[in-house]
Amino acid sequence: MALYKSMLVAKTDLRMALKVSYVKYGLIGIAALGPIMMIAIVGFMVLADPLYAVFFLPSLSALMSPMLGMMAIMPAALISANALVGEREQNTLEPLLNTPLTDRELLMGKLLSSFIPSFGLLLGSILVTEIATIIILLSVGAPIVLVPGLPGLFLLLTAGPTMIIAIVSVMILISGKVKRVYEAYQTSGASILIFMIPMMLPIFTLEGSGAVDMNSVWVTNIITFLIALILAAVTWALAIRRFNRDTMISM
Amino acid sequence: MMVIQLDEVVISGLTKNFGDLCAVDHIELNVPKGSIYGLLGPNGAGKSTTIRLLCTLLKPNDGSATVGGFDIVESPVEVREITGVLPEEGNHTLYQTLSAYDNLDYFARLYDVPEDKISKRIEELLTFMDLWERKDDPAGELSTGNRQRLALCRALLHEPQVVLLDEPTAALDPVAAKRVRELILSLSEKYNQTFFVNSHNLAEVQRMCDRIAIIDEGKILLSGGTQELRQRLQATQNFRIRVVEKLEKAGSIAESMDFVSSVKREADSIIVTIDDPIGNNSTLMQSLLSQGVKIIEFAEEETTLEDLYLDVIKGGAK
Ligand SMILES: Nc1ncnc2c1ncn2[C@@H]1O[C@H](COP(=O)(O)OP(=O)(O)OP(=O)(O)O)[C@@H](O)[C@H]1O
Ligand SMILES: [Mg+2]
Repeated sequence: MALYKSMLVAKTDLRMALKVSYVKYGLIGIAALGPIMMIAIVGFMVLADPLYAVFFLPSLSALMSPMLGMMAIMPAALISANALVGEREQNTLEPLLNTPLTDRELLMGKLLSSFIPSFGLLLGSILVTEIATIIILLSVGAPIVLVPGLPGLFLLLTAGPTMIIAIVSVMILISGKVKRVYEAYQTSGASILIFMIPMMLPIFTLEGSGAVDMNSVWVTNIITFLIALILAAVTWALAIRRFNRDTMISM
Repeated sequence: MMVIQLDEVVISGLTKNFGDLCAVDHIELNVPKGSIYGLLGPNGAGKSTTIRLLCTLLKPNDGSATVGGFDIVESPVEVREITGVLPEEGNHTLYQTLSAYDNLDYFARLYDVPEDKISKRIEELLTFMDLWERKDDPAGELSTGNRQRLALCRALLHEPQVVLLDEPTAALDPVAAKRVRELILSLSEKYNQTFFVNSHNLAEVQRMCDRIAIIDEGKILLSGGTQELRQRLQATQNFRIRVVEKLEKAGSIAESMDFVSSVKREADSIIVTIDDPIGNNSTLMQSLLSQGVKIIEFAEEETTLEDLYLDVIKGGAK
């Protein structure tokens, strides 16, 4: 029953967000950018030298997969900024807070309105990239390599959703303090920097051959997930505890 | 002995501070079930803050209140379930890009209106407010007054036991304002819904509310039944005495009477406040005439709540 109310809030928030054109086109743009870049690079390498590509793709995939993660959590920042600070900015938060919604139902609604589309876009961009890579490799008769590879998939499917939760939580925490949607967006957008860890760290393990050490990729990705997990748990707990109707409407 | 709770809203010692400012200062109010209660006061008096406390949006710093028997701090969800709220500047609190109908549909669900009743209820309210033809228009494209009516519909959707209205007719034209007043009156009569209405429109409150409290600087200066307050006013009354000449003389004659409590001089008249006018008016008139004052007019000045209000507010400011 409680989830029904949250879904209702989520649905309406998403509907409202999509009526804001910069959110709508922002979402489409961001969602498309990651796969397009990955596919372009894969395509370029495979066409240039299929054999070298097959050898090098796992390393490339390890370094580039986090980008899909970044691209997928930006929508969460966009939507949740609108759903929280935007509602306040437009004075629609007060009537919403007057309804029998509990704090938890309300916050869960705000979380879901960002989580569902963002996670959907993430899954979509992974799928598109994998399929496009396979088609490109098959077309030149090269053996199949997964892009994103297994460590990348692990990272995206664990740290991805976790970071979405963290971003929305951060948004809830700052929503009582910032006044404008773009301020909120900028502040929480900083969280995507987490994905810089798996992008940068393995570079230090680059071997002479130009490949990265896969073990260290795994270790880095697991560490990134753990950091994301702690971040999400702490911020979500704080968001629920600190959420205060009083500060949401006070100026 | 069993105590029967007849008051729908009971406020005791309720206090809200914003930093150093005490917006609501230990107020005491009882709102009887089924009544229409008017909270009057100038800008910044604490009216909206009182409503926001009652609908659990703000947490009090001190004191307590119950709505329909539920404590606003202990059982906020229950309070919200039985309350309908029209926030201040209600016309700005709608989802601009959603249609009038969808605005109501969303809130009907949030307020647990049964699925099979939602569309009927929305049609009923929109029709009453003359908005049914605009149901598919985005709320942002409606006029200010129409948006205000839509916000009112939203407050009434779930047939709440208690309705809190923050300046309900502020953005409405006289015809629409009258309809809203009539709606409120009929709802309170038919369904025994209790209304708590903020306003600085005295005439409106006088026409609609059966009980009134006057608030200023967070303090309740006066409260009581509308009739009772008016009667209190009628114990002393103001009369305008327009004279041809000898204005000064008329003034001093009036002042010398012990039943005249005040004399105000205007260009061609004096305004006198007389205790027990029925017994004393003829005495005053006779003395004026016998001393050669030519009276053109001796008329009752309309005493409204406004006089009382201004009196009380001025008194409070002192
Ligand atoms: N969220 C807030 N933060 C700080 N001060 C506030 C807040 N809300 C109200 N106040 C202050 O509390 C006092 C009472 O405000 P309130 O809005 O209750 O007045 P009001 O009687 O509704 O006035 P008006 O007729 O102008 O609507 C004012 O001085 C106002 O500035
Ligand atoms: Mg107000």
